[in-house]
Amino acid sequence: MALPQSLRQSVTPPELELIASQELIDVVPLISMERTAFISGAYGPLRPPNKARIPLWMAVNLKLKKKCHIVAPDWFNVDYLQTRLARETSEPVFSDLPFRFAEISKVLLDVASDDLENPDKLRSLLKDLREARQAKCREGLRQIDHSELSLPNLCSMEINEIRPFFIESMSVLTRLVRNPIVDR
Amino acid sequence: MLQHYHHNHELGVWDEEYEQRPPTPRRTDSPDDINPFLLERTPETPLEQLTRHWLNERHAPDILPAQEELLSGMLDHLRRQSEAVHLLRGDPSSSDEEHIRIMLVQTEIERVKFIVRSYVRTRLFKIEKYARFVTSNADVQRRLTAAERDHASRHAKITDQHFYLSVLQSLPDAQAHLDDTPVFYPSMVTEPDKSRPVFVHALTRCSQITLPDGATLDMEKGHISLTLYSVVEQLVARGEVELI
Repeated sequence: MALPQSLRQSVTPPELELIASQELIDVVPLISMERTAFISGAYGPLRPPNKARIPLWMAVNLKLKKKCHIVAPDWFNVDYLQTRLARETSEPVFSDLPFRFAEISKVLLDVASDDLENPDKLRSLLKDLREARQAKCREGLRQIDHSELSLPNLCSMEINEIRPFFIESMSVLTRLVRNPIVDR
Repeated sequence: MLQHYHHNHELGVWDEEYEQRPPTPRRTDSPDDINPFLLERTPETPLEQLTRHWLNERHAPDILPAQEELLSGMLDHLRRQSEAVHLLRGDPSSSDEEHIRIMLVQTEIERVKFIVRSYVRTRLFKIEKYARFVTSNADVQRRLTAAERDHASRHAKITDQHFYLSVLQSLPDAQAHLDDTPVFYPSMVTEPDKSRPVFVHALTRCSQITLPDGATLDMEKGHISLTLYSVVEQLVARGEVELI
């Protein structure tokens, strides 16, 4: 078949990671490189110890070869996530986080935890955030109808997680509403 | 040392190219930058466009218009980058730092190839699934490339033949059709289910969207909604929303 069964209904987390890896991030390079034309755009020049802005996948590649240090994005630190978590647990709405924060923070914790301040604390904050937001997602299921459900500030990974269940629920509700009209 | 890189003619393969490219657009995510009256968006790079079309195609129940020009432009670019890598690989005098540059370009080629492949396969999957419907519907045919149309009609023909030879020829005439539309039953020809819900993300302000329950919805830029595909079909086609 042209597309494996597992890819037909939804995209997979590794695919989301691939997309998120296109986002730009600051690095402190340990090697120099001229400005180079890539398909996604031109990046560089890299001149240690000046910061440079390159795609995440490139930063990960260089980091794994110990050729750069990754500078955490300004939302990825203990203070910021702590205020977000406080808001997340005290307010009914989803707090605003970067759309692909889950993918990016996972990649950074996996390959560049030595460039981060207090990675263990970051990990546990992300876990708490995830749990608080998941609870809200489940609440959201109550509001689902056959027409529309607004989900402000929901993130890419969270959408992917709730997708099968939410789509199926709405489909069922749509069928319930539609069929009586057809029969009339 | 750095000067040396500048004048290395082989690097010109990449250095020249970026001069012709538009500057990489900056994401303007802070709310101050958003003017709701301005429909204009920061221009997307071809790769960003392809990624958007790829995800739209993955999530949409229907077959979306083929992006032939975008895809062939991307394939050309892939070929040019591959040739450049090949050229530089063969040079024994290249430095360690040059190796890293080659490795990075090669990595990106593989990443882009993955997206191109997945995009084409997703379309192929839908075309095969709805092959019979495609062959009888001029509207869908307009959204396909010539090769895709050809594939659809061949696929439909082969499966028809197979059904006929294996079962249908032994059935009474009245039951030997593949395109019955009996009352109270779904049609035998599989059609895309446009009432399937999708997650949409507004790329610009979209106002006065009519919902199935009769209400209207105004979506600000950045708004995320779960709604039926049929509701946002036109907005997806115009690129005002993307499916996520």
